[in-house]
Amino acid sequence: MWTLIAWLVGLGTFFLMALLVVHVLVALVLIVPTWRICERAGYSGLLSLFHLLPVLGSFIVMAVLAFGDWPNGEGRATASPTVRP
Amino acid sequence: MMGFDLAALLGALGLGSAFALVGVVLAGWMCWRIADKAGLPGWTGLGAILLTLTGIGSVVSLILLWVFAFMRWPRDGEPAVAGFVPPPGGGAPGAPPALPPPAKALSDRRGWKLTGNGVALAFDDAQPAYLLTGEGRGAPGELVVADPSVGRPHARLLTASGRLGLEDLGAPGGTFIDGARLLPGHGPRDITAVRALKLGNVVLALSRS
Repeated sequence: MWTLIAWLVGLGTFFLMALLVVHVLVALVLIVPTWRICERAGYSGLLSLFHLLPVLGSFIVMAVLAFGDWPNGEGRATASPTVRP
Repeated sequence: MMGFDLAALLGALGLGSAFALVGVVLAGWMCWRIADKAGLPGWTGLGAILLTLTGIGSVVSLILLWVFAFMRWPRDGEPAVAGFVPPPGGGAPGAPPALPPPAKALSDRRGWKLTGNGVALAFDDAQPAYLLTGEGRGAPGELVVADPSVGRPHARLLTASGRLGLEDLGAPGGTFIDGARLLPGHGPRDITAVRALKLGNVVLALSRS
């Protein structure tokens, strides 16, 4: 009985650690390009570390980039406010 | 009992699908805007997200993210208004930055007029720089646009070789060139061919005098 419980706890820990390692690896693959995008937009590269937050993190980074005014300027051809002299 | 479990499972799957759909739509919309801000067509960002719906899409989207991060963006290639090159350091407020020589001097040496919203300002290239401000202190080279939304100072006009440049000094009301936002980080931009400026809430028509 105790052996079975020990096996189950061991397996659970193993899968949890494996999940954590995979999550960090996937996050790293996302963080590197996002770091550069953030810096080119004029934000701190640290913003890309939100990718470490599961599920919501990527949406937070995208929302900041999509809806914030880029400090380094934007090249938008559309959606600019219209000036009527 | 079995029927209840099945219903609960289907309900959970439906809820998951609904969340996934909302996530894809949100991500697509945001990527559209990000691509647009980088100067690329917005559909490229949306397309990258929609690719995740296909079998191999996630890998392709990841590759596209890396390509987007390290490629040359159209925004970087050309200034918003060609002509004036941003000075090194982004043109901080203070002493007027040295204006780099424009690509081509213009023979038209008439002065300039800024009119609209009860404002009528005239200036020429007698001075290399003019300060647009909401409140004057009697200093030479000041052009006063008396409005609470105009900063003190708000922007700097630069003249060189018959051309006119504009630099935003970071006032909260913002500066717009023919509707496009000018930020302090852009540095001086050529506005020789521009028709309208907006300083805060004040819209001014630019013309030759």
